[in-house]
Amino acid sequence: MNSIDKVRAFIVDNFLFGDDSSLKEDSSFLQEHIVDSTGILEIITFLEEEFCIKINDDELLPENLDSLKNIDAFLKRKLSQK
Amino acid sequence: MDLNKHTYVQDFLTHNAQSFPEKVALVYQNQRMTYWEINEQSDALAQWLVEYGIQPGDRILILLDNSPEYVISYYAILTSGAVAVPVNTDIKAAGLDFLFKDTGAKILISSSAFQRVLDDCNFQDASIKIIILCNPGPAQKAPGVLAISLADIVNARATFQPNIPVNQNALASIIYTSGSTGKPKGVMLSHKNIVSNTLAICQSLDLTHTDIQMVVLPFFYVMGKSLLNSHFAVGGTLVINNTFLYPATVLNQMAEEKVTGFSGVPSTYSFLLHRSPLENFRNKLPHLRYCSQAGGHLARSVKLALRKVLPDHTKIFIMYGATEASARLTCLDPQFYESKMDSVGKPIAGATIQIANEDGQTLPSYAVGELIAQGPGIMVGYWKNPAATALALDTMGYHTGDLGYKDEDDFIFIIGRKDNQLKVGGNRINTQEIEDMLLETGHVIEAFVTGYPDALLGHRLIAMAVAKNKPTNSQTILSACTQLIPRYKIPHTLLLVPSLPKTSNGKIDKEKCISLLTNHIRLEENQDKKDINDCKGLRHEQH
Repeated sequence: MNSIDKVRAFIVDNFLFGDDSSLKEDSSFLQEHIVDSTGILEIITFLEEEFCIKINDDELLPENLDSLKNIDAFLKRKLSQK
Repeated sequence: MDLNKHTYVQDFLTHNAQSFPEKVALVYQNQRMTYWEINEQSDALAQWLVEYGIQPGDRILILLDNSPEYVISYYAILTSGAVAVPVNTDIKAAGLDFLFKDTGAKILISSSAFQRVLDDCNFQDASIKIIILCNPGPAQKAPGVLAISLADIVNARATFQPNIPVNQNALASIIYTSGSTGKPKGVMLSHKNIVSNTLAICQSLDLTHTDIQMVVLPFFYVMGKSLLNSHFAVGGTLVINNTFLYPATVLNQMAEEKVTGFSGVPSTYSFLLHRSPLENFRNKLPHLRYCSQAGGHLARSVKLALRKVLPDHTKIFIMYGATEASARLTCLDPQFYESKMDSVGKPIAGATIQIANEDGQTLPSYAVGELIAQGPGIMVGYWKNPAATALALDTMGYHTGDLGYKDEDDFIFIIGRKDNQLKVGGNRINTQEIEDMLLETGHVIEAFVTGYPDALLGHRLIAMAVAKNKPTNSQTILSACTQLIPRYKIPHTLLLVPSLPKTSNGKIDKEKCISLLTNHIRLEENQDKKDINDCKGLRHEQH
């Protein structure tokens, strides 16, 4: 399973109760009410632990974290810096 | 500006469309809307509602995120004489079905962002006859009821402003509170309730038309709605940002838009302090005149940290309120922020608060009793629920369920909810105090404490917290607590989680916390039983 598939599986299991029909690559987690108000922090914790990265406060931006596509690009950048 | 010219809630918009027609009232993403533009669209929708057959007092539900469409819909509903029922955006289909039934609403205003919830609703048995949709997507399926586009309605210029005669005591809004037990209760607020409370808030915060408020709290929540009404009352500007969970975005926009005011609930400020680059913005917010906090108790440790991090010129207003009081009841003048740090201040204009014992007798300074509030902002009652109304309202006023006292200078201090008092062993414990202590250890960002039934003690304390740093474990936190509080006040169980469950208005979701903690304890107990059985089995084998 590649990185973004792991993230997708985490979101589907934790926020969509296994139903991934509404989750597209560019679905905005917040605007489409996929992730609730607590969920973003859970995603951050998941990314930090699963990929052994540190996400800084000033990186908490929608362009980094608000869709699978954005997370994919962000993860690639972070992992290449390691 | 003469604020007393406002009689009805919609006057906030209509009067300023006359006084400041070209003034930007809303900033939302790349959109800027003037008072005139919002009023035009609101009138067009109000006219449509009247022509559709909406009668004064009819309920209309709004299920929308904060947006210009929300504002247009809210004021249009009131202009048409109807009652606005804001819906929590985290609602599920069953909750919405309940609201359809309880309110008997004929119209729902929503958007395609809520498609999944709407698809699951039961419109067959509902009173809803039509859904007005903002931005209906191309894939929008009809959920079994007629749907019409809001844009199509508001783009048709209003030919007349509906001039519906409304009494100031007529209902303007029904706001459902989640309620810790039982079904949600609909708080009925009249035009008089909301207008009087709004004007008192404007006075407490010295709001003027030069104020620019960053709004991160949802409009369906009474405090979010009061930000809208209070800034529209003075002709100010609202900057709507729905991405607070990405706080760097919000802080950048606050600097760019020269925001003068920011408001939040306790978790908003915990989040800003611990998960945002707020400290780096200290010199980038020269226009930030004030921050206000309401919606629950803010721990002293958070208040102290906030004062250090915010720019020196930014005043901090601590406020206290309730949906049943239209929004807010008290305000602590920032000049007393340090000297009366644990106080929620004094009643805002028009409100009074007395501290009373269970017999309804007013108590002297420092005696702890229930806060009972009176004033023009106090609700009419609970919708179709006379029994709950009779429990909350009587001749003394609104029984808040909060316990507190007044000091010798009449500043009000709240020590906790009446239902947050627990007996542990022979000791009466206030869970709010334990939550504060957990934060004071310096290891914890936010905490929730409750009781778990215990055959021996009556209750034992159980807690859930978010650690500041990853390596911190519950043992470190609990041993730091032993330096601060007596042993009987230390939680028996402390569960660490990445974040506490929240309701969509940012408050801690107590019900979810309790359910998670209870499950955790049951798992622990089952494990203990298994260990004992394993041990017994082993001994048996040995014998």
